[in-house]
This record gives sequence, structure tokens and C-alpha cells, in this order.
Amino acid sequence: MRVSRYRLRIAVVAACLTVMCALAGTVAARVYHGPVLTGLVAGAAVAAFAVGFLLRNKPPWLAASVSFWGLAAYLIGSFALTADGAEPLPTVVVDAIVNAVPRTLTALIPVEPAPDTVGVPVFLTWLAATLACELAIRYGRTLSGCLPPTLLYTAGLYLVGPNADPAIAVTVVYCLLAAVALAATSAPPGRRPDSDARVDGGAPRRSATLVGSVIGAAVLLVAVAALAPMATRLVTTSPGDPRELVEPPQLTDIDLNPLARIPEWAKNPDRELFRADIDGDAAMRLGVLTEYDGVTWQAGGDFRTAGSVLPGSGDGGFAAEVEIIELGGKLVPAVADPAAVTDLPVAVNLRTRGLLTPDGLATGDTFHVGSDPLIVDPEDAVGARPDLSDPVSVAMPPGAPEGMTAIADYITATYDTPYDRAQGLADFLSQHYGFDPESPSGHDYPALEFFLEAPVEAGGQRGTSEQFAATYALIARLAGLPSRVVVGFDVPGGPSTVTAAQGLAWPEIAFDGVGWVRFDPMPAGGVAPVPPEETLDELEEEATEEPEPESGGGDAEDFNDPALEDDQGDFDAATSAANDVIPTWAWWIAAALVIGSIPLILKARRRLRRRRRLRRGSPAERVAGAWAEVLGSAARAGVEVGAHANAEEAAARAGTVGASAEGLPRLVNQAAFAPGSVDEADAEAAARIALAYCREADASGSRWKRVLT
Amino acid sequence: MQDSEQTHPLQAPRPVQQPVTLNPGQAEAFAATFERLAAAVDTVVLGKPDVVRLALTAMFAEGHILLEDVPGTGKTTLARAIASAVSGQWRRIQFTPDLLPSDVSGVTIFNQGSGGFEFHPGPVFANIVIADEINRASPKTQSALLEVMEEGRVTVDGHPHSVPSPFVVVATQNPVEMDGTYRLPEAQLDRFLVKLSVGYPVEAAEIEVLRGTHQRSPENIPAVVDTDTVKQMAEVAKYVYIADPLYAYLVQLANATRGHPQVAVGVSPRGLIALTRAASVYALSQGRTYIIPEDVKALAEPVFSHRIQLAPDAAMRGASGAGVVAEVFESVPVPLPASAA
Repeated sequence: MRVSRYRLRIAVVAACLTVMCALAGTVAARVYHGPVLTGLVAGAAVAAFAVGFLLRNKPPWLAASVSFWGLAAYLIGSFALTADGAEPLPTVVVDAIVNAVPRTLTALIPVEPAPDTVGVPVFLTWLAATLACELAIRYGRTLSGCLPPTLLYTAGLYLVGPNADPAIAVTVVYCLLAAVALAATSAPPGRRPDSDARVDGGAPRRSATLVGSVIGAAVLLVAVAALAPMATRLVTTSPGDPRELVEPPQLTDIDLNPLARIPEWAKNPDRELFRADIDGDAAMRLGVLTEYDGVTWQAGGDFRTAGSVLPGSGDGGFAAEVEIIELGGKLVPAVADPAAVTDLPVAVNLRTRGLLTPDGLATGDTFHVGSDPLIVDPEDAVGARPDLSDPVSVAMPPGAPEGMTAIADYITATYDTPYDRAQGLADFLSQHYGFDPESPSGHDYPALEFFLEAPVEAGGQRGTSEQFAATYALIARLAGLPSRVVVGFDVPGGPSTVTAAQGLAWPEIAFDGVGWVRFDPMPAGGVAPVPPEETLDELEEEATEEPEPESGGGDAEDFNDPALEDDQGDFDAATSAANDVIPTWAWWIAAALVIGSIPLILKARRRLRRRRRLRRGSPAERVAGAWAEVLGSAARAGVEVGAHANAEEAAARAGTVGASAEGLPRLVNQAAFAPGSVDEADAEAAARIALAYCREADASGSRWKRVLT
Repeated sequence: MQDSEQTHPLQAPRPVQQPVTLNPGQAEAFAATFERLAAAVDTVVLGKPDVVRLALTAMFAEGHILLEDVPGTGKTTLARAIASAVSGQWRRIQFTPDLLPSDVSGVTIFNQGSGGFEFHPGPVFANIVIADEINRASPKTQSALLEVMEEGRVTVDGHPHSVPSPFVVVATQNPVEMDGTYRLPEAQLDRFLVKLSVGYPVEAAEIEVLRGTHQRSPENIPAVVDTDTVKQMAEVAKYVYIADPLYAYLVQLANATRGHPQVAVGVSPRGLIALTRAASVYALSQGRTYIIPEDVKALAEPVFSHRIQLAPDAAMRGASGAGVVAEVFESVPVPLPASAA
């Protein structure tokens, strides 16, 4: 009967820990694409635990050896399963082992299951399951056995970081499994029926253990309830992400600022850059530039290594097949909002969704890009307010040329709605400035000032799309419109060869609820530009005759009015705090209650333990329990008894606290070294001596010590 | 402890296949006899009850006793008192540099009357042999005791001659006056179960010694037990119960002496056996049928200290075997029951 109960207990513990290891492994799988990794880590947990469980009665070295070779075989199998077959398996294995950690940390979420991204989770899961089995099954330490899967769980949470939704249900199931495993905890080795070890000390009783467990669990629950909101708030406000520790791919100058390529393309319009075969007319983007520092436009955000699947809203239904001819650099041309890239290793800019290949483009590179471009109808933007959520898109470095400010004032005064201003600005530039492929390169403030204000005879007032797009974006920002510059190509649907003549830059304006809308400030062919001074002078004359109200005139809505922002109910920390259901002071009181209850819990635990030691078990066990009580009481009173002391010496040492345990050493020696010679009367006598000693010793200690120990 | 059949209190249980344990009555009878013997010796050796009991413990453990102390502290008196309290045959040998081995063991002489050689036993043929100032004899003569102390027989001219049983050698030596002495070799020291130091008596005991100098003599002690009783008591002591953890404790103690940095040669297995035998007798003398760690600690120094050979540098720095034993006991945990946490 005892053997059956023991086997049932370890079976329950084994099952719980196996599922816990599998759950811990699947925490990281939440950021992986598809169910492949979930299956792999679950299989690793089951296999590793099965190996340890079957060999639990064999020597540890044998279990370790079998587990090691099992892990090696399982890893190779995982690599073979996730490899694309392009390279021989040994090469795949070596590459996966060498690059597993950095690629796992730099992979874009959702991570594509590949040999170099599944190795770390599978290895850690196997290791955690092996350790858990050894600790819990072989050595009977269930609590210690819960530690490896818990560490794996924590590592999984850290790896996922803020990139997945909270897994509350999984966490609850995990905690329940741990509780079940602990409740059905296996006996210590000495109590196992398959062991002939002799046990002198008393084993914990189930009822006492249960009461202690319930009290401990209650304390833990209260502590979690008190501390979890604070921890959650901390994680929410500053989440840790291990990917921040990995250096992103480095960019060259032409990749940092592809706008500089425009003049070169303008001068060599026939240069064939790449061949494309796309589903319909579209603009293929090379770079999206959001930050301007007075000298250059640059893309904000970092590039992160990605798998073949990129975060997208769909399945990348807009397909583009690309073959590189002479297009250099690392930036990858793609239709907006790419969702999947195959046959080319890429990194993606999380902010702009631009693509980059770390090794650079080379002639002959062929790849497929699937995109889900957001179809924006300009009509939707007519009545929309500007999207000012990203401060970078409206940031202006100081020192803007006066010409820009004058045009911005003109646009603001002339047009009422944001869309009209954006379109009016595009019209203004296209009507007053000309295109010249021979224009000098540059889009810093002086170059743009020359473009805007220099006489036509001196080469001013004409430029390439570099100057048009850059100027438009900056004036738009002066007019309160969030803007950015995109460098790319207008590509017709179907197969075609994209030449440098198709390369251009264009500005985009962000509208709330609509997205980024492209505007075209380039002049129409065959139309002579009107000198901008004429239009701007007209505005000054009108302003002198009839001052306009500051609001912009008429009944037009002020789309930049801060009051409107408040009406929209944007995040307000004070309001949010006020809406909290449980006030802060309640948490403080709860924490104080938890801390204040600790002495009571300690006392209750000690009382239960004393009762168990003195009242439960055989007479010899009770005498040993009385001895443990005396030594424990002496320790609380500040007298430590060394392990080298025999019973008489220990009792003498314990007697220095002012209490006496006379008679107990004889009983202890009798119980320990003359088995079967102590009876109920001896056990009762030992209990009386111990209780008297504990009473006197506790009374002799300080009040604080009595409370806190 | 299961009660054995009704036997004489001091009669050893009959050896059987199953482990035999003693009943409390046997232990109490042993303790009573032991105490009467000790009390008899105490009437002469004043103020040294512990030394007396250790010496008697060694005797009942069938071991030999080495009394080492400065002259005049009662070594010979103790030896003679023990001999007198046991109504057996005892001899005293005053060891001198010119003492020959045959003076100890005996000699074979040609008998003209019978026309053959006859063995004339030496003083070693007695139940209790007092070897006074044993370190004054030459190593050759000291070695004459090796065989008889270990095996209880003497071989002369190729013929073995058994000594009577029980056989106990109570030797004395003076550690201070080293001129003309020969230090006992390690093999010889190992033959002694205990080495005891009598020491000076406390003031009250010394006054009592002066007060009764003329009335108190070892020869006046009445015999308390006979040799047969001593043999029976020694046999009983072999059945004292020793718990398994104590065996491990004893071995750990011995190992600790062997690994001690100040020790060149630690305690031998024979020393460990000697401690176990002595502890068994000590436990019975306390009325117990089982050994406890206190017994081991009480006997460890007299049993172990003379068996420990110190490293030369440690000896030069004044280390001692007793000090090493004390350190060893500080380092080995006592196998008391673990806390039932």
C-alpha cells in the first residue's frame, strides 16, 4: 500500500513538472511564428523528463549521459525539421549552434522557427526538465524541482519582453500545477519504501504539513496581491527587452540618408537598378526618413534582424519579385508595409517599416516581398486632423531659412484645413519652382535656402526631388503638419526594369485616422514656374489692408487647438490614477498587515511544529523532537550548540540561557543509541522537560527576539 | 532491548547466530561489582576516582595499563591496589637496565635429577603483572613483553607457555627523568589499551593521605573479586550494544586523527578496537547496556593520545596527542538525532 501511494505521488509530481516545463518553454513560443516551436519545446520537456524518470533509480552519471545524448539527438532533429533544406544538415547544425543566441535575440517578432532560433528554447527546456526531474524525482525535493522550470518561465518572459500579450491563463495554470506538485510532494529519500535508509528523525505529518502549506500559501498570496500591482506598473512603464542589449546592423552613409542618391540618379536616368515584377502600379520604397537635424534627413529607429515573416496585418498579398541589377547599398526596395520576405536575409525598421539586408545588395540577388500596403484615399484626409502623436514628425531644428517661414505663413493664412494646407503647399512648390536634374546635391538649410531664395539666374529656385521633398516636409512642419520624406521608385504593375529615372523622393503627411498621405510637390512638365515673390507679396498686401483674426479666420475649425486634444480624452496620468479602483493607501495598509502578520505566522508555525515534534510519532521520534525543541529554543535565545557536542555537553551549553534540560540527554542517548528502549513515559517526560525548558528560555530572551523569531 | 533468558547476572550470554544484547540486570550487576572494586581501590588511591575507574575499565576490557607520571604520585600504589583487590596471582617486576628478557619471561634449566630441561616461569606468569619503571629496561627486555601482552603466551626455546587468564600488565614510567631510560617503541605503546596520568591529588585528598599514611596500604585491601569474576565481566562487556551511527562516529574520529596536520601517524585500527572495547566496559560500569558518545569522549584521550605520533615540527612546537584528540572531537559531529523539522 505504501509503495503504491508513493508511486502515485511521484507520478503526480512527474506529470505536473513535465507540463510545467512544457508551459515554461511555450512562454517564449508566443513570439514565434506558427506552432512549430510550441511542439518542439513540449516534446523536449516530455522527452527529457521521461529519460530522467525512467532512470531515476540508476546512477546519476548514467541518467546525465543518456540525457545528454538525447538532447543532442533532439536538437539535431529540431534543426532538420526547421531547416529549409538549402544546405547540408551538418552545416545547418554548426551554423545554428554558433549563431543561436545572437540570432534569437535579434530576430524580429514574430520569430520565424529556424535552426538558429529554435535551438536556445529547446536546449533550455530540455535542461530545465532534466534538472527538475533529478531534483524532484531522484532526490525528492519537489520545491527545488520547481525552480528550473520557473527560471525557464522567467527567462521566457524576459525574452518575450513587451512583445506579446500577458499570458495570465498560462501563468495561473502553471501556479496550479506547482501547487499540486507540492501538495502531492514525494517523501524524502529516507522515507521511500524502496530505500533501506534508516531514519532517526521524525518525518513531517501530512496534516501539519498541509496546515503549514496553507498558511504559507496565504502569506504568499497576500504578498503577491500587495506587490504585484507595483511590479506590474514598473514593468509596464519600463519593460525590459533583451533585444535592446544587441547591437543592431550598422548602416553606411548612403543607407542612413538615401536622399543623397537622388542627384546621382537624376544625372544617370538610364541606369538600370533592378528588375521588378509586381501585382500592380505601386511605389517601392527604399527608405523612409523622419528625422531632420538641419543637415540631413535620416530614418529614426533601429533595424532589427527579422525572419522571413514580418509583422504585418495580412498575408502579404501584394507580391513583388525583385532581381537586383545595379542598385547598391543595404536598403531593400519594397512596397509599403512589407509582411514577408523570402530568399533574402533582412532586418526591418520597426518605426518606418523599411527593409535592410545586412550583407548589402549585390547584382543577381533575387527575392520575393509580400506586402499589405495601406490603401489611402486622399478624400478621407480632407476633413482629418493632423496626427501629432509622434513628436519627431513635427520637430524642427533651429535656423530655418526665412523663405521657409514665409511660405509656411502664406500656407497657414491661405488655407484653413490641414489637408488643404498640405495640398496647397504641394501646389505652391510645383507652381513656383522648377525641376533641374543638374542641380547640385544637398538638403541642409543653406542648400534649401539657396533652392528657395536664390535668383533663377544664379541657379536657384530649381532642383531635384531631393530639394522638393525636403523643402516640402520642413515647411509642412512649420505649418503644423507632421511630415516625412520617402525615397523610392514609381514602378508600374507587371514585369519591368526599374531605372534611375524612376527614383525620386516624395513627402508624406500624417492624418489622424487616415495614415500617411503622399503629396507630390514636383512641377508639372512644360509649365514655367511663377516666381514665388509675386505670390508672397500679394499676401503681404492683403495682410496690410485687412488684418486677419489670429484664429485663422472665419468659422474654420482650428485643427491644432490644444483644447481639442483634451476633448479626445488623451492619456492623463492624474485622471488615470483617480480612476484606480483601489487607492494607494489601501495597498500600503495591506503591505503593513502582511509584514505585521509575519511574527504571528512564525509563532503559529513554531507552535505547530512543536506540537508535531512532541505529540506525533514513536516515543523515540518524540524524544528526538523534544531534543530539537530544546536546541531550537536555545538558538533563539542566542546560544548555538555545535554539532560536535554530545548530548550532555549540548544540554550544559543550552543551560547557559538560564533554563534546565536535565534528564533529557539521558533520554536522547537512549532513544538514539538503544533502539526500542524508550517508551511512552519516557516520551512524555522528554516533552515535559522540553516544554519547561522552552518556557524558561523564551522568558529569558528579549521581547523583540521573542516576537521576531 | 529484548530480555534474555534467566542467567547469572555476570554470566555472558551464550554465543548464538542472532546478535545478542544484554538485559539491564546484567548491566546493573556489572556496575555494582565495578563500583565495589573501585571503592576498594579508592581507599588507598585517594582523590583519583576517575583514574581508578579508567584503570579498572582497561582491566575489564582485557587491556594493559600504562601509568605515566612524575615520581611519588601513586602509580605503583594504584597498580598494587588493583592487584590486591583482585584475588588472583600478581607479580611485580622492577625494571632496571641490566634486567634480561629471561628475567621476565622465564628460563629453561637442565634438571640433573630428571635428566631433562625444565621451564622455570618468570614473573610474567601471573594475572596482574606490575612492570615498575618499564622504560628503564633495555629495548630487548621491553620486547620480551610484546608477545605476552598481545597473545597471552610466552615462547621460550620454541615452546609456547600460556600465562594465566585474566592477564593484565600495569606498567609505570617516569616521563621527567630520562637519563638511563629507553623510550617505549610505538609498537610497545600500542599494546597498552590506555595511558593514564595519576597527577597530584587535590589539597583535601593530600591532607587525607598524610593523615593515614601508616594505616593505608595496598596490601590491606581485601580482595573484592576473583579472577573468574573478572573473566566473566570481561566476557559480558563484549555484548554491549553499539548503534550503527556510533561505529561511523568512531571511524570518523580515527580518520580525523590520521588527517590532522600535526599528526604523522594517526590512530591504528587496533587503537579503534581498543576504544570500542573500553567504551563497552565504561558503559556497563555506568549501568547501561549500550554505548553513547559520552563514553567515547571520556575514553578517547587515554586510549588515543599515546597512539598518535606527532609530526616533528608539531612536537617541536609543544603539541601533544591529547591536544590533537581534543581538536578532533571539535571537528567531528556527534550522531545525535537530527531535528525533526
